Amino acid sequence: MADAGENELSFLSQITDVLKSIDKESPDVNQKMKELKIKLEKAREFVDKMPGIQCSKTEQLKQIDILRNQLTYKTELLEKYKKSDQFDLNH
Amino acid sequence: MTIQISSQNEFNSYVSTHLFFLFSNLTEIFPSNVISFRELFEVAATPKSQQKPDAMDSITLVELVTMKDKEIKETLKLAAEQAEIQKTIDELRTEVDKRDAEIKHLQKNLKEAETILSTAIYQAKQKLTAINQANNRKISSEELIKFAHRISASNAVASPPTWMPGDPRRPYPTDFEMRLGFLGKVGDLPLNTPVLQSQGSYGEPMSSNRNTAQTEGTPTSSSAGWHSELGLGASGGNSQILADFKGPKTESEDVGFMSSDSSSSSLSSDE
Repeated sequence: MADAGENELSFLSQITDVLKSIDKESPDVNQKMKELKIKLEKAREFVDKMPGIQCSKTEQLKQIDILRNQLTYKTELLEKYKKSDQFDLNH
Repeated sequence: MTIQISSQNEFNSYVSTHLFFLFSNLTEIFPSNVISFRELFEVAATPKSQQKPDAMDSITLVELVTMKDKEIKETLKLAAEQAEIQKTIDELRTEVDKRDAEIKHLQKNLKEAETILSTAIYQAKQKLTAINQANNRKISSEELIKFAHRISASNAVASPPTWMPGDPRRPYPTDFEMRLGFLGKVGDLPLNTPVLQSQGSYGEPMSSNRNTAQTEGTPTSSSAGWHSELGLGASGGNSQILADFKGPKTESEDVGFMSSDSSSSSLSSDE
């Protein structure tokens, strides 16, 4: 994924092409700009699809702790009720 | 890197239009990068003579762009780490959801069991109350059987075992039986018939009838006549009515049921 990200999010080559075409005053400037624009749009889509970047790493680690605690608590609760065979008959 | 541009106004405007569109997309993703890209292109597209005095040097801009590119790569590494953490988070969430589903299932089963048990306990309590009630008011089985015989004696509860379709017997007094009874024969009595002393219950003469016995069958003494008529036909009709009765007749005071027909009381006296 890191490689794919690098490919998607590296613009230097495109920028270099645009600058070269501007320098040479070639009619390809328009084409180059369009290519850069398309690459940027693809980069945007790629970033939107990336998992786990909606919140910071710190928050993610907090979330992991919370979920682990929940999992432990609920597993213990289930074990307790499955093994328990005593019911309060006075009610 | 020096860039010499001698482009026409149309070219500049075309490029700047495209740049503007491109930059508006970029600002959504890489705000800081956009600025550097935009400035670089502006410097590249604008002739030196038209450049703003505070415009950055192209070399600086290129260095800025390369620096931003490095930042992007580092950020990508962080994003990869976060993606791995997110996988762990997703796995944990799946496990927590499974536990939630199990807990809900268990809760539902427990609720059902509670409902069933509470219903059973309620019914058991009711039965225990009934048992206690029965134990507090004990009745001998002989008395119950006696009452059962009395209730079923007139065949009003069930038909006689020998009854078949076409049998004229009925659980109620039939027309024929009524005509044979005392009431049926009242109409046949002549008007001059002396009024006999009637019998109340238990066979004792009623005091009211001693007064009415002196009068002769007048319509005004209807109540006295009713009593006398009862005395007349008691013995005659009852034998017919009793033809279908089963079982012996016993004292009615034990039963306690109301009987407006004094024929039954005379019956008991006969028995």
